[in-house]
Amino acid sequence: MNRRDFIKAGSAASALLATGCEKLRGKVGDWFLGAGVPDRFAVAAAGMDEHVHLLNRAAFGPWPGDLERVAHVGADKWIEEQLFPDSIDDLACQIRTRGFETLHLPPGEMYEYKKPVVEKELTRFTLLRAVYSKRQLFEVLVEFWTDHFNIHIGKADCAWLKSPDDRDTIRAHALGRFRDMVKASALSPAMLVYLDGRENRKAGPGEKPNENYARELLELHTLGVHGGYTQKDVMEVARCLTGWTCRRENQLMKAKVEFHRGQHDDGEKTVLGRRIAPGGMENDLEQVLDIVCSHPSTANYIAEKLCRRFIGDAPPASAVAKAAKTFQDTSGSIRSTVKTVLTCEEFRASKGQKLKRPFRFVVSALRALGADTNASPALLRYLGAMGQAPFQHPTPDGYPDEAMPWLGTMLWRWNFALALVTNNIGGTSVDLPRLAKAMSAPESDPAPMFLRLVLGREPLPVEQEAVASYLSASPLEPHQKRAEAVGLMLASPGFQRC
Amino acid sequence: MLLTRRNLLRVVFDVNAVRPQKDTLVCVFLRGGADGLSMVVPFEEKAYYRLRPSLGIARPDQTSGTKGINLDGKFALNPKLAPLKELWDEKTLAIVHAAGSDDQTRSHFEAQDLMERATALETGVSGGWLARHFQAQPAGDRTPLMAVGLGPSLPESLRGAPVAMALESFDEFHLGRNATSQAALAAALDRLYGTADADLARSGRQSLSVLDTLEKMRQQAYTPAAGATYPDSDFGRSLLSVARLIKAGVGLEAATVDLGGWDSHFGQALLIDRLQEDLAGGLAAFRKDLGPALDRTTVVVMTEFGRRAYENTAYGTDHGRAGVMFVLGGAVKGGRVVADWPGLEEGQLEGPGDLKVTTDYRDVLAEILAKRSGQTQLEKVFPGHEVKFRGLFA
Repeated sequence: MNRRDFIKAGSAASALLATGCEKLRGKVGDWFLGAGVPDRFAVAAAGMDEHVHLLNRAAFGPWPGDLERVAHVGADKWIEEQLFPDSIDDLACQIRTRGFETLHLPPGEMYEYKKPVVEKELTRFTLLRAVYSKRQLFEVLVEFWTDHFNIHIGKADCAWLKSPDDRDTIRAHALGRFRDMVKASALSPAMLVYLDGRENRKAGPGEKPNENYARELLELHTLGVHGGYTQKDVMEVARCLTGWTCRRENQLMKAKVEFHRGQHDDGEKTVLGRRIAPGGMENDLEQVLDIVCSHPSTANYIAEKLCRRFIGDAPPASAVAKAAKTFQDTSGSIRSTVKTVLTCEEFRASKGQKLKRPFRFVVSALRALGADTNASPALLRYLGAMGQAPFQHPTPDGYPDEAMPWLGTMLWRWNFALALVTNNIGGTSVDLPRLAKAMSAPESDPAPMFLRLVLGREPLPVEQEAVASYLSASPLEPHQKRAEAVGLMLASPGFQRC
Repeated sequence: MLLTRRNLLRVVFDVNAVRPQKDTLVCVFLRGGADGLSMVVPFEEKAYYRLRPSLGIARPDQTSGTKGINLDGKFALNPKLAPLKELWDEKTLAIVHAAGSDDQTRSHFEAQDLMERATALETGVSGGWLARHFQAQPAGDRTPLMAVGLGPSLPESLRGAPVAMALESFDEFHLGRNATSQAALAAALDRLYGTADADLARSGRQSLSVLDTLEKMRQQAYTPAAGATYPDSDFGRSLLSVARLIKAGVGLEAATVDLGGWDSHFGQALLIDRLQEDLAGGLAAFRKDLGPALDRTTVVVMTEFGRRAYENTAYGTDHGRAGVMFVLGGAVKGGRVVADWPGLEEGQLEGPGDLKVTTDYRDVLAEILAKRSGQTQLEKVFPGHEVKFRGLFA
């Protein structure tokens, strides 16, 4: 890019910011803002395995040029930057996602929009941020907490309420304090609807409070199923939370969260062996949060889940113990706990142990090739076919982390890989010749360089041979089979793991 | 190294050879809440005509108008379901009336979800009922095309299945732009996955064999047998795909097919006439096309709930409770309406005026699994439900 282009791009970018029109955003703006594919970048080479590993787990895989960036600042510094996402300039990504109006509205105003609109905006936003945000660790944690505090947008009016929950619960606290996030979730209209908290009121004679949310709070959000609570604790927590509700569809100021004193069971309760005095009213919630969030089982459970996500399906107990200790020592600082996980020896030793779930697979493929996408339905369809469309998991446990349930998705992964490299996904395109040039790949045979780009390492002999034999067997035109060969790399087992 | 095809064939063939014969179970879900009282009409109920002054389907012995087709002197088929009469007569079709779930929300989402999970959200049991059925089977019995969801994504009933695939048409799985290139890609993938870890190697091998199977099926032009003509609709095309898979002997054990749009709050007749034609035309063509293969096939048709017994002022009906289910198959004791008929008179209805559920839909599904689907563990598939068989099979 010469100086004139630079200035042109700059003014185009400010125009974009001013209008916020999604259609106007394009390569020019992204270029200037640094989110495009660099003119020159280096692919993985010997000695960079650690950095690739870091980007595979703490980010959704490397974007062209990311490796050089990590190598330049060093892994520790990169992690430190990522732990403070607000310090990272993310203008290019913000421009790409600027057109989604519903993301900024309070819950009650969401209802001005039709359901497909609010669903589509949130889903596309999520995918675009995962692909383009430079705050990659933050986006990875957003995905983690979205699973942890799962809400299905198919249930009741969660479609309208999940977007505020995404903003005010998940994104507001993804790297913050755990207790703050649990509190935000407990009082999130979407959660009050999804787990029936709004139905939970003081029981009359012969009735019981609605314990659905209380149960999941203990089982899935804090202590974990083996965390040492009893059915009695579930009932007591439910009693503590009686009276919290949100206004219904046919009321004014719909979705407004409020505490109804008359519906609160204000008697004495005992939660996990700790007495909650009568008369606490809405403060009962604070007491419950204090008790469950500071419980040692919660530290263990969150540590184990983070380690399962970042290290392996059966994470080493030593890593879990370290993370749990940090969690406990810092009173539930997510930032500190994640730092412990990413800098521990067990993390470094876990290369290739995770199977990418479909979301990570798709996002990492788009990133590896520096794809230009508007996250259209054509792209999202692949996630649906692989069973991981964002916000579509019906049960409160969130999409599973383990490899097993995702092993049946291989055909769809291959289909996606081939469609991507041949530019057959609407609204999504890749420019392979440009990439080849930027990597300084030999024009006659760019495949070895692409292998290193896609796999993030020196390819194995079998990988080189498989690609070479495909290229010699395929009767297609050279540019076509070169594209398909890149699809083959994305479809290969090496790219399914991270 | 090229041509894994022969090897793949061997894999598919061997696996088929050792598996015990099981039915293919085809689950048709009528999404939106189909009006059982219009589809299978209790014409002996005086209350029916009182509650449905304009939407009621006339008695079969009426001389004029849209009248039902007499089944057993008590129930009549909607005339738009006429193609099902032949299946009724040959006794491959049984009708289960006043069937449904214990869902009280009357919400489409909640009720569909409950039905497909076959357990309440709070129980901590995850995944769908079909998925749990497959989980209960020995891992060695798994084959790549054992469970297929016809449509853009898997239905909840298959969520968590060890092997299950969403499939919209045979044409959507193409690796390359032409056959030679596709074979070269398949050979390369075979080689790559052959050296992968065990999990990925198995998954890769299965996927390649599916590709191979679908490719072969694509190459053979398919003409439905016996002059069967499927409706020109997504539903018709889905059933045709299922018939092809069954006849190709690919090891299909469960297929799910959706037919949506039954939410008939207003102008009901216009809306559901077309859907009923689609449903009945599709099932009749499917039956004809399968021929003797119907002996190894069971089709079950369900919906999340039936509709209110009385019509509303917009010539429609609102969300109700019990609906109707159909069970079709070579082994079915058909030609019968299976029902503990609860009645439509005041005092017999439930809530705001709904047909009571007297047959739990899980009893129907459980009987199919237990009698026609090989090994299963009903206590895991339908946790907490005490199963009662209804004698659907001989």
